[in-house]
Amino acid sequence: MKLKSFLAAGLVSVSALAMSTAAMAEDKTVRIVGFGASSGVVGIFGQNSSAAMSAAFEKINAEGGVTLADGSKAQIVTEYYDDRCNAEEGISVLRRIATTDALIAIGPTCSNVAEPLFGILQAKVDDSGDTGLQFPVFTDVAIKGGLAGISEWVFRNTPSEAKMYDDLFAWIRATHPDLKTIYGGVEEDFAHSRFTWYEVMKKAAEQHGFEVVGEAQWLLSDTNFSNQARGMRREEPDIVAISAHPFTTCGMLREMARQKIQPKVLVGLTSSSSLETLSGCAAEAQGLTIPTSFAPVNDDARSAAEAVVAKGGQMDLHSASAWENAMILRDVINAAGIEGTPESLDADRRKIRDGLSTLTEAQGLLGVNQRLPDGEAVKPYVFVHAKDAGWEVLHDPGS
Amino acid sequence: MDFYFGLLQIFGVHTLLGLSAYVVLLTGQVSMAQAGFYAIGAYAAGACTAMFGMHILPAVLIAGLLTAVVACVVGFPALRVKGLMLVVATLAFGEMVRLFFFNLTWQVERGGEMVGPNGAEGFRSIRYFPENGWEIWQVTGFIWIIVAVIMVALWWVDRTRAGAVLRAVGHDETAAQSIGLNLTAVKVGAMTAGGFIAGIGGGIYAHTVTHIEHGVFGVLLATFAIAYPILGGLGSIFGTLIAVLFIQGFLIEGLRFMGDWRSLLFGALIVLAMNLRPTGLLGEHAPRLSQLFGRKTNDHDKSLELKEAE
Amino acid sequence: MADASGANEATAKMDYFFIIDFVQSLVDGLLFGTTYALIGIGFTLIFGVMRKLNLAYGAAALAGTYIGLAAFLAFDAPPPVVFLASALGSGLIGLVVYYCCFRFTPTSYPMASLLASVGMLLFIDEVVIHLSHGMPFPYPSVFSDATLELGDIWIRGDLLFVFGMCVVAMAVLFWLLYRTPLGLATRAVSQQPRAAQLCGIDSTRVNALTFVIAGILGGVAGAMTAAAVGVLSPIIAMGLTVKGLIVVVIGGLGSIPGAIIGGLLVGAAENVFLLLRGVTERDIYVMLLLFLFLTLRPGGLFGSTAGRD
Repeated sequence: MKLKSFLAAGLVSVSALAMSTAAMAEDKTVRIVGFGASSGVVGIFGQNSSAAMSAAFEKINAEGGVTLADGSKAQIVTEYYDDRCNAEEGISVLRRIATTDALIAIGPTCSNVAEPLFGILQAKVDDSGDTGLQFPVFTDVAIKGGLAGISEWVFRNTPSEAKMYDDLFAWIRATHPDLKTIYGGVEEDFAHSRFTWYEVMKKAAEQHGFEVVGEAQWLLSDTNFSNQARGMRREEPDIVAISAHPFTTCGMLREMARQKIQPKVLVGLTSSSSLETLSGCAAEAQGLTIPTSFAPVNDDARSAAEAVVAKGGQMDLHSASAWENAMILRDVINAAGIEGTPESLDADRRKIRDGLSTLTEAQGLLGVNQRLPDGEAVKPYVFVHAKDAGWEVLHDPGS
Repeated sequence: MDFYFGLLQIFGVHTLLGLSAYVVLLTGQVSMAQAGFYAIGAYAAGACTAMFGMHILPAVLIAGLLTAVVACVVGFPALRVKGLMLVVATLAFGEMVRLFFFNLTWQVERGGEMVGPNGAEGFRSIRYFPENGWEIWQVTGFIWIIVAVIMVALWWVDRTRAGAVLRAVGHDETAAQSIGLNLTAVKVGAMTAGGFIAGIGGGIYAHTVTHIEHGVFGVLLATFAIAYPILGGLGSIFGTLIAVLFIQGFLIEGLRFMGDWRSLLFGALIVLAMNLRPTGLLGEHAPRLSQLFGRKTNDHDKSLELKEAE
Repeated sequence: MADASGANEATAKMDYFFIIDFVQSLVDGLLFGTTYALIGIGFTLIFGVMRKLNLAYGAAALAGTYIGLAAFLAFDAPPPVVFLASALGSGLIGLVVYYCCFRFTPTSYPMASLLASVGMLLFIDEVVIHLSHGMPFPYPSVFSDATLELGDIWIRGDLLFVFGMCVVAMAVLFWLLYRTPLGLATRAVSQQPRAAQLCGIDSTRVNALTFVIAGILGGVAGAMTAAAVGVLSPIIAMGLTVKGLIVVVIGGLGSIPGAIIGGLLVGAAENVFLLLRGVTERDIYVMLLLFLFLTLRPGGLFGSTAGRD
């Protein structure tokens, strides 16, 4: 019967998985697992993160690995799980990771996975009334503001958009004193883009004396932007800020070009400072100014980017975070003095969590990342703009 | 262990989603509204516990009843049409529900924080289980007790006259009408029962993931809801259960080690399964015990072949 | 006094803007609606001959469009070639869908092919994403810089082209259906499958050809959508599918003129609601309209066989 073969195949695969998660009996190893979306529409993010992580761990291992409590060295082993940007799958993946000997997980990709995922973790450490999962998570990509506050087991190394856009508008104010008005464009049904416009960009722009003369809204899968662009054209804004992902950013930019809307400054969403926008519409994106926490501006950043490309990924602000997370974890593990044995697993995880939570500064690719008490980070950044099918550094506030 | 309990929770929730579509499918109607019902249940139960501090059990029941009422009200106009028209009408309804929650902002203050649905950003902190000290096995047990109760109820209904009536309408409406069955009552009744089950399923779902947002309850989820019973076969409730195990356990969780290729295989294997077993994994008829142990009854197989040859 | 006249002037200006916006939305919506109409026709054709719903249709159209895109990226092909490759590619994928989901599933059990086509939808979508890494790519267009200005109303050159192409595709379809033996066979199968078979029409061949024709129409629609946006991304597949289904239902099952009118109506209604109620509520009204339409007039605009399945 077909049914039986289906069931048999299912059983075989489940048991095979159980075997593969058993500890490997070689030299000393510690496991750090990545997870996120590596298939589906946003799969590229996970693929890049995965490449960055494996490149970073390879580098660490080549330099000798990490030091355990007894002074011996251990190699880092890693793998990457796909959660397809789906909340249930993300939770399932994290539970699976927590049942292995993994010390910490790096992920996820999507904010809509991160939010439920952080919800199943214990909210406050040592709160015995809270039966949430006790497992540290160090997020690289999911960027929507304020998520790390959900649980004390969560740390993020994503750039602080509030700080970046505040500085960006301050810089625009300083360099273009004659500009007065700003018009916003927002992808309304995507939590991150929506949050970034209403809570971050808009407030920052008003803070620096720009008058918000209008807002255009559209949805993730929209294909027609003429109404929205027409509203924009009438207001003749000096600045246009677009908080959307590459597909609709490109659609909107094309429509703006068609209707001959030429703002003096064009501001984009952090996540759009990737290859995707350039692949979609390099010509229209010309001049699009974006604050980003990664650009190959120094030797470290350049060599890291090369290592990631060699692994088949791309280095952008998201995968740079994955790389940095690996490096930060190496330092935290070295300092925490973990034992790396199956018996000490829970204690080791706790030590890493405590290590991350007491960290106030960490070395990043562009400079020193500040670690905040709620688990968030403030990272150094540069302003880049799209020029001739590439991202060019426009201004480096750190220099 | 936690991982397997977590997996069981997912199975339980999806079984409820599939069963809600199963009841409606028995009457021959393909309803794409189940994701919408599921959403109503999720938001309602979430509101009950997170915003008003209720116990989980009444919260889930309220969610189920509320959804049943909505399903009943929607059922009357929607079930005037059938076939493709019904697919699209229910799809439209499901999308309307999703968009309603997309626009819904309704927050109350609890413990110094604003809690409740917040438009596109969703409804976070539905943390009834961890906050009240439920261990994961207790949560899983709670879910499966509910699933078991509903499955037993459906199995019992299937064995009684009511089940025969549902199937009669599903097989041949004209014939069913000519023997004096009230088609509207039967269909709306099935829709209401389906709504109740989907509402309970959604209510539990909200508590297992702690954060819900409109995007989850889209067309894809509605498609999954009808996929479970069709893939499993409409013969009995066990078809739906098998299909949930097949999709969630094997295709999604079991193949995870294949990385990116898993998503490719997912669709391909569903296509293959439908070609090999068009009436579902367990077929159109309720499985008999002898069959489960490998001794096929020949006459049963013949009738299937005849059907396929038609 | 000055204040009052200023206010009056402002409201007059508002009203004028509103009318312009309204007309402009309507025009854009109608022009764009032709792509919806094409998808709707594809659904209707398949439904007409097989009495079955092909949910993989939107995905097949998208995949075909990507084939055109591949020609553009690999050989720098000119736009007409890209459009042609998109249409033919989509036709080919339509055939694959037929053989994978419809040929070998029992005709008496429509749910089997329904679910098989869902599996196919997920599969095609994932193949496209896998090959393109989910990246948006620029899609060639023609007349994208040209604008026809009628006073304050601007008509986009490329949308006019999209409109024209869709009309041509419909004209060819009508010629095919009403002036060729193939069309006669198709119509015969859609009216009475068994009788048609008795008259010596090979229904398998007709079914397969219908999938190809519908696929080509879908490919044209996909190519035109991508050309109008200027960017192609896998995101648009679900939108095409849902819009196509809505169009079929509004127009009436099996009615090609109905699908055309339905497409234009959906395109226009969508844009007008966007203008009046904003983007977050736009689709609610479209869906509500559809729901009411369905329950009050289940046969659609031109359908005669109400609610047949």
